[in-house]
Amino acid sequence: MTTELKPYPFEFIKRQARPRKGSETEHHGVVIVGGGVAGLTAALALAVQGIPSVVIEADDSVCFGSRAICISRRSLEIFERLGAVGEILEKGLPWTGGRSYYRNQEVLHFSMPHDANQHLPPMINIEQYYIEEYLVHALESYSELADIRWANRVTGVAPQDGGVMLDVEQEDGQPYRIQADWVMACDGGRSKVREALGLHLQGTAYEGIYIIADIALKSALPTERLAWFDPPSNPGSTILMHKQPDDIWRIDYQIRDDEDPQEAVKAENVLPRVQAHLEMIGETAEWSPLWISLYKANALTLDSYRHGRVLFAGDAAHLVPIFGVRGANSAIDDVDNMAWKLAAVMKGRADPSLLDSYSVERVFAARENLRQGMKSTEFMAPPTFAFQMMREAVLDLALDTPGVRSLINPRQTSAIHYEDSPAVAAGDHDARFTAGPRRGAVLQSAPLRHVDAQGRESTVHVTQLVRAGQFLVLAFGDAAGLPADLNQAVASLRESGLGVRALAVCGREQGASGDEYLVDPDGKVAGLYGAQAGGVYVVRPDGHVFGRWLALRGQELVDAFAVLLGKTTQRRSA
Amino acid sequence: MNDLELDAVYTELCRVLGEAGEQKALTLLGRFALLAMLEIDDADRLKALIARAAQSA
Repeated sequence: MTTELKPYPFEFIKRQARPRKGSETEHHGVVIVGGGVAGLTAALALAVQGIPSVVIEADDSVCFGSRAICISRRSLEIFERLGAVGEILEKGLPWTGGRSYYRNQEVLHFSMPHDANQHLPPMINIEQYYIEEYLVHALESYSELADIRWANRVTGVAPQDGGVMLDVEQEDGQPYRIQADWVMACDGGRSKVREALGLHLQGTAYEGIYIIADIALKSALPTERLAWFDPPSNPGSTILMHKQPDDIWRIDYQIRDDEDPQEAVKAENVLPRVQAHLEMIGETAEWSPLWISLYKANALTLDSYRHGRVLFAGDAAHLVPIFGVRGANSAIDDVDNMAWKLAAVMKGRADPSLLDSYSVERVFAARENLRQGMKSTEFMAPPTFAFQMMREAVLDLALDTPGVRSLINPRQTSAIHYEDSPAVAAGDHDARFTAGPRRGAVLQSAPLRHVDAQGRESTVHVTQLVRAGQFLVLAFGDAAGLPADLNQAVASLRESGLGVRALAVCGREQGASGDEYLVDPDGKVAGLYGAQAGGVYVVRPDGHVFGRWLALRGQELVDAFAVLLGKTTQRRSA
Repeated sequence: MNDLELDAVYTELCRVLGEAGEQKALTLLGRFALLAMLEIDDADRLKALIARAAQSA
């Protein structure tokens, strides 16, 4: 067995920054520090709204090695809205469930929520370098709006009145300065921006250590999340396997407490364990290692993600445990939340205080993610003898006692419901609905017929109706148009510069009405959304429900937006 | 009791056992078993549960 790591079957293109003109200090509206998944998604989310940004990325290529591998349906919905989902879906491997084994017996076969209403899979597996590469591709269509400075690094961050001064170093070591109106800190777990501002992540660091390995292996096994507890191949250990594109398998296993991590991570110690495991599951094909690293679970976050004109996102803001795949997925949600708010502020549509709601909502989301992630971690890497002992009892009983099997379920990431946010319509009729997504929750998908202004029909899913930077108004009723009063309110909001897409949802096709509308022939969506005739859902540009009303007058809509955007003396209630 | 509630009480027991430490955990589990016996209040069911618990170990 060779212990040499083979190269990934992927071309890591070495990229260069555009040549700088002149030596004076540059000025930019938005500087994004870090060009990983968070930073590139942020640049794209701003570009699709017409906001230019400069991305400062220390490396000269997309990320190397085994990092995020699971992308959730919610993240795919965001990428779809940003026009970047095509290549990702084409390359990624969709999956819907998984299996857990205790010793060599199956004790759990789980499925993630999935039904005929969904047009996207609950999860796909894809290497992070592909995600980043495809985001770079998507950004190439916005070359005037997104300036990615590869091999540039930030060396200093100084908040000033009305902006932030950044010291940056080019690939050749030449320093220069950028005066930024806003900085998005997307520079990862060891964030330079966070350090420069003297901020610290707070929370729990776990003791359990995992080895992460990518191997090249051709296998007929389906794409599932596979977990083995105490397998005969590696007694006492926990092993996870995930299939990735290009016949690459990610294998994670926990090392024993008495092992020296630096010894355990050496190829000569990792490969025999992998070999033993592959033999146990009957995988006899030749394989080769591509990547080996150590992982230690952390559950940490900043208390606030807005510090004046610096906004933190992704690993720079929080570190969530690996189990449950909340790292990259929560980073994508962070920047999706931040981008529409920052664009609204920069275009003068909203007061800068709207950005405080970014912090409120995403810190809340991080705490929820940490809570769920810690529960997954307590099972996958038991922190005390008690969790270890009880886990053995669960696994042992699970063989013939279905009632305990839910305790083995890996609790995968799910979209966070902003229960108590200053950026939702507190005065709506949320509590009076008996079904449908709550105020602050993400939309539920289901198919509808879309009829355009010329009367042409096509199928569309609810989540696809949300457009970047635009609010969505869905008005349920019998007509192909909005009630006149609501229609007028929407027109005045648009005149004020706010992006609003308003669609009537009616029961039958009514030909060309001069405006686009939706048909819900059997009332399935109205039922799913608990909407009677006259019911209105208003959705934010990030796909979260702003508010829902049994009936909504135009003026109420205008007032609700005035509160959200800080264009009124009435304060947003937190 | 739904899955979430089971999860919550399971985690609570793990946490309390962990805090008690390895020395006292067995006594704590013993106390918990006795209290559960009184709550279940059915000798035949309890005998069956004891037999099942012993089966694997």
